[in-house]
Amino acid sequence: MKENIISLFSRIQTAYQKIEKLLASMKFAVVIILLFSIALTYGTFMESYHGREFANRLVYKSFWFMGIQGLMFLSILLATLVRLPAKKRLYGFYTIHAGLILLFIGSFITYINGIDGIVELRPSEPTNKIQLEEDVLAIRTTSGKIIRKILPYNAFPVNLDQNIEGFELKEYLPSSELITKWVPFKEGKDQHSSEYFLYNENVSDQFMLSLASLSDFKSTKKLGPLNVNYMPALLYNCFKKQSDTEFILWNVVQSSCVNIDSKTHLVGKTEQDNPFFVYKWNNKDLKFFPNVSPLPINDDLTKNMNTPLRVFSKDIFKDKPNLFLFGKSLAYYSARKKLWVGKEFADLNSEIKLPWMNFKIKLLQHRNDAYPSQIPAYTRPIQSKSEIIKGDLKAIKVSVFGVDHWVRNDQPLKLSDGTRSIEMMIIKNEKRLPYQFTLEKFKMDTNPGTNDPASYESFVTLLDGRKSQGDNLNNKPHHIYMNNPLKYDEFTFYQSSYFQLGPDTYGSALSVNYDPGRFLKYFGSFLIVFGSIWHFYIRRRKQKKTIVNKTNNVHLQGEVNA
Amino acid sequence: MHKLLSFLLLLSTFAYSAIDSKILEETPTLNGGRVKPLYVQARESIKFITGKTSYKELSAIEAYYKLSTKELYVDSNFKLPILIEHIDAKNFLNLPTDKMLFDVDKLLPQHDFIRAKVMQIKESTSLKKELTSLWARLNRYKAISSGEDFKIYKEGNWVALNTFFTAETTDKDIEKILLKSSSDYVQDNGSTYLVELTLFKSHIFSIAMLISLIAIFATVLLKSVKAATVLSALTIIVQIIGISLRVIVSGRAPITNMYETVMFSGFGALVISLIILAFKKDKLFLLAGLGYNVLCLFMMKFANNMLDESISPLVPVLRDNFWLSTHVTTIILSYAALALSWLLANIVLIKASRGTIEKNEQKYYENLINTCVIVGVTLLSAGIILGGVWADYSWGRFWGWDPKETWSLIVFLFYITLLHGRYTNWLNPKRFILSVAGGFMTVMMAWFGVNYILASGLHSYGFSEGGAIFLGSFFAVQTIFLVFSALRYMPDKNTEKRAANA
Repeated sequence: MKENIISLFSRIQTAYQKIEKLLASMKFAVVIILLFSIALTYGTFMESYHGREFANRLVYKSFWFMGIQGLMFLSILLATLVRLPAKKRLYGFYTIHAGLILLFIGSFITYINGIDGIVELRPSEPTNKIQLEEDVLAIRTTSGKIIRKILPYNAFPVNLDQNIEGFELKEYLPSSELITKWVPFKEGKDQHSSEYFLYNENVSDQFMLSLASLSDFKSTKKLGPLNVNYMPALLYNCFKKQSDTEFILWNVVQSSCVNIDSKTHLVGKTEQDNPFFVYKWNNKDLKFFPNVSPLPINDDLTKNMNTPLRVFSKDIFKDKPNLFLFGKSLAYYSARKKLWVGKEFADLNSEIKLPWMNFKIKLLQHRNDAYPSQIPAYTRPIQSKSEIIKGDLKAIKVSVFGVDHWVRNDQPLKLSDGTRSIEMMIIKNEKRLPYQFTLEKFKMDTNPGTNDPASYESFVTLLDGRKSQGDNLNNKPHHIYMNNPLKYDEFTFYQSSYFQLGPDTYGSALSVNYDPGRFLKYFGSFLIVFGSIWHFYIRRRKQKKTIVNKTNNVHLQGEVNA
Repeated sequence: MHKLLSFLLLLSTFAYSAIDSKILEETPTLNGGRVKPLYVQARESIKFITGKTSYKELSAIEAYYKLSTKELYVDSNFKLPILIEHIDAKNFLNLPTDKMLFDVDKLLPQHDFIRAKVMQIKESTSLKKELTSLWARLNRYKAISSGEDFKIYKEGNWVALNTFFTAETTDKDIEKILLKSSSDYVQDNGSTYLVELTLFKSHIFSIAMLISLIAIFATVLLKSVKAATVLSALTIIVQIIGISLRVIVSGRAPITNMYETVMFSGFGALVISLIILAFKKDKLFLLAGLGYNVLCLFMMKFANNMLDESISPLVPVLRDNFWLSTHVTTIILSYAALALSWLLANIVLIKASRGTIEKNEQKYYENLINTCVIVGVTLLSAGIILGGVWADYSWGRFWGWDPKETWSLIVFLFYITLLHGRYTNWLNPKRFILSVAGGFMTVMMAWFGVNYILASGLHSYGFSEGGAIFLGSFFAVQTIFLVFSALRYMPDKNTEKRAANA
């Protein structure tokens, strides 16, 4: 038994020695450095195509990359340990490697305990909020309780598979873009949607318009001076038809319409010059005063809410360019001909010439059995000129009250089923400081004669309730600008950027940093440089000695030969 | 006939030299956020628009002035052609692909259309890049031809030249206005801005290149190390003068764009080689230093599509002279030392491919190369750390995995591996020399590749298509040469074995 233990012990010992020998070996070091370099190269290319955040998620802050760094640390540590006890000729070597070890430890401490964030300051609005880099899902339940869940730092979609208070968190997309998907109507509704392409030689725009209330797309759009209005197809006939009053009576329920014309309807004017007309509906005479209300007016001058009839005048659309789209047809007012013009698309992809600036319009899609919906789909972000141009959207699929929804970082999700309500959003995690900053003034200088910023400076006041007013940094104005940070209470505040709030008002963004590993990193760095020089010096002296020895040898040999 | 010709010639000279060129050249003007002599603004503008620093028989300043005062002459149909380099852009605009310069009157009507197209293309394609610069060229052309670009000093403000235009304004009037504005400016702000004129007109770096070349001839043909050393010292003095002029003009350390880093690395390599020469007493060092300096000066002179010599304001984050000069200088000096090792290694490989190198000789060269690598790696580690300290000091982070940082780390790791391999005899002298010759590719990637191939991050000095081509050719040539040398140089290992077996 005892022998067994001893043999096991010695076996473990030899195994350990073998591992130590392997990890301390040059071969291992080279393999690790090689792996590390390949990972770094890959990271720089990923960063250049997909941006900093994606590179961090994929490489620099991933577990496998941490693993390589850990092995490198082990290799350096063991390579140093196996060369003990200290030999004089290796003093430089020990110093360099001790420096590296300290640098690693310092960086690790920073990674674990350090804080990096941003303080956004708006003029005269005190704040103590630090915005951190990590994303969280914040949930506010019916009772007002707020739950925060830190989201994983992944590069690719991940299934959260979690149940929080009866809500199921499903897929998380760390980067995504919105794609359009057609969702069939559950009941046959007649709310159509269409996609158009509008263009001339200078500009072009492709857009989707929808009448469906569930759709993410709207029914109106502004393209420069042109207003585009998407309307039920049944109104087309009334729009293209000329009538002397320009009034259209619209039955909202049946989606039908009638043009009011003095030839067919009783039309007149009040003493105040207000036009009116009478329309027979369900054997009742309804009186409309279009300038007063879209609803019929009762004899006692109250509005009649009980009919589905609404009136509006086409007159108001004549002054500005207005395009009316009805799916497969369109109408506009031609100022030249002084007529309403109606045109129909022959089929998909056929185009119609418009009367403004050589614009032409194409119908790309048209459906009334389904509505278009924008759904986040995973994509790698794309970076161009240091800006993310695609994939800037984070989204989580959640199941609330039995239905799937998407929470997006650009808009919170608010749901309610009468008794319960819930609000979800993806935001940056935050931390509160025990003191407040107020931006008194933000100053930006530009290079003379240009709009390029030459410097930006923030004048802030720091108010710390924990300290007396007499404290030398407290409640005093501070001036923070590029290369001149403010150090306070273990935190350092740096001027990092700015954002525009109004025509001449700016907010300032300070980056905040708490780095407990700083001293070790600095000391380690110093040792590395100092050790390199020392090592070089020792080596040179050694070399000189060998050269001297060699020349002596040659000398001796010469004598022997002679 | 002869008389008529000379008369016409006289007439034409009158037509261009409406104003004395010297007065124009020395006029201070504000452009791109900086006061500079009009000579510089004119050269930069004409080069930007047409790709050349002159137009027909007109110098840049004459062409610039003529275009600026176009509005004064109703009958003036003076115009400059516009440069379009990229074939995609020519195809897009239905222009002949065999030409580089195009009629401005045909392009100006398409100005808005080009802009609309640029806005429409979302991803950064080469078409977008070229259309963006074409758009910028047309903008600049419009600004100059309306007299808007030419800003003149007037009572502490800068006003466009066209504000002086009246129906009767003549060149003589403008000459008076310019002379007054120059003297007013000098009175208020001094004449330091004229240093830039001296810098660009003196061709000081071409002179340095010439001296360096003579020094190389002195070493190779006359075999006089003494003469070469004196000439090298002279080159260094000339370069110090040139660099100092640039520092006076820009008011900052001379290492803020690609042009300046190349300029400084050539200079640094020569200085380092002279220092090592003092210890090691081998002319090969001097030869490598001179050779590398000439390469750098040559690039500064002729690769100006890639290396832009103009001086422009710095982005705010880099405006700290202390850190800029310590961090970047250290890095560039380390690149210079590594460049020396690269050149030496290649020289040895060439030597070896011509005949066999003796083992002792090889060991000796390997030692020389090793010295350069050690100096380079030590400086590099110091430079990387200084960069970290600067980043920590100004942004609160020691390390951020920025591509420039990361690539300098890759360079460091590569050379560190070589040094370790050498200590443990993993890399015999031959392999070491081959690796050092190839290793400079990592430096080129960190130095140029990050800007020209990766082109993102905090350290972006500028981007140009020419850079990627240059880098690609460098990698290709170096790799082919390495493979060739390895094939010729390595086999004698087998011969050794065979010899041992026998």
